[in-house]
Amino acid sequence: MTRLIEVPVQFDDRSFEQFAAAYAQAAADGARLLFDAHAAEWASPYGLVGLLAAGEAAARGGERALLTAPANPDVVSYWARAGFFREAGDLFEVHGKVPRTKPATESEVLLPVTPVRAAEDVHAVVSTIQQRASAILASELGLEPKATMGFAMALSEACQNIVEHAGTGGWVAVQAYHWRRKLARRVVVIAVADAGVGFRHSLEPSQAKRFGERWGDAAALEAALVQGVSRFRDPGRGQGLAGIRRYLARWDGKIAIRSGTARIAIVPSWDDDVPLKDGLPAFPGSQVLLIIPEYGSREA
Amino acid sequence: MQLIKMHEVLQQSVAGLYADLVTRPTGRAVRESIERDLPPGTIAVMDFTGVGCLDYSCADEIVAKLLRDKVRVLLLRGVSDAHREAIEPVLLGHGLAVVCAGPDGTLEVLGAHEPAEALLEELVARQLAARTPGGAIALTAA
Repeated sequence: MTRLIEVPVQFDDRSFEQFAAAYAQAAADGARLLFDAHAAEWASPYGLVGLLAAGEAAARGGERALLTAPANPDVVSYWARAGFFREAGDLFEVHGKVPRTKPATESEVLLPVTPVRAAEDVHAVVSTIQQRASAILASELGLEPKATMGFAMALSEACQNIVEHAGTGGWVAVQAYHWRRKLARRVVVIAVADAGVGFRHSLEPSQAKRFGERWGDAAALEAALVQGVSRFRDPGRGQGLAGIRRYLARWDGKIAIRSGTARIAIVPSWDDDVPLKDGLPAFPGSQVLLIIPEYGSREA
Repeated sequence: MQLIKMHEVLQQSVAGLYADLVTRPTGRAVRESIERDLPPGTIAVMDFTGVGCLDYSCADEIVAKLLRDKVRVLLLRGVSDAHREAIEPVLLGHGLAVVCAGPDGTLEVLGAHEPAEALLEELVARQLAARTPGGAIALTAA
């Protein structure tokens, strides 16, 4: 028996909840999963890496999930250029016409979907992003040159969360695009996702007792992002997310982290997201979203 | 004073010709490499020239842990604004401080206030630094 999961037509962090609900329902009985993206018209980096995380979790059952590629040639070509199918081939049995395209070197894709499994991968990501992002950040987003280094630092720390805490590999993707719907400005988006143990499991041994009955996915996210708590007792730990927050505060950016059944966000003035949501459909691992808007967008 | 060229140590410590000090494993490898040649209680000069990105994890593994466990005074040079942004919060978290030398040898402190003042006084007392007529403190050898 195969269970169908529809990939949203516009697949981003907002529609991800619809996707996660369908995943949670379909994955409950261990049947083979079919991810249907044939109607997809657009996917953000968050959507693409989130879909890979779902594929990895589904493949743990033994059989690879099925994936129907977008029918629209422009869309499927974009997913290919964003590096999605290079990673999806190992996780899904892909159906549909997928162009044999190398991941893009176009300006929009600052970093194609890239696997992160070890510290060496983080080095490669940081090195690549510095070569590609500095011009975009300075010329198109109007950020100061020193913002580029902070950007690389934030990216490094976001990727290291996978290496240090997920217990499995994950993916990162970085894109710059014009965000018409929300800001009518250009943004750079970093999306990081894994299908690992999630924040609650990672922090449980050191934090569950402290939170008592409140302990859960939401409390774990609050502890990590707001209180800078780490699973390690070393006082130098927990700096990564705090550093990302400082960087985003300076450039009026946004961070949102989804893990398990909860999602937390530091919401800038230009956004109307909810700071903390609990009781969401269960989804494996952790998904991190960083958005840096074009400088001056706070007045938009 | 013992000079540590961070870019060289990085190249020797990890596989791949990376210029960035990122990730904890890299920081740990670099710190262990430094520690092998460093007697306890040393005044060390850490030169960041040629280092690209420095993240919080590496700043903690290298700067904070060396300062906490191995060296008496850590003097940094070749430090960019971005490097400072990684190092300062890490030092504050540990209640530690370092001295940064500018291109002209002028010194300024980074990190927790109390140890920072003591560091400058120690460098002056050891005649490694002196007060300039303008009131700043600069390295005597610069």
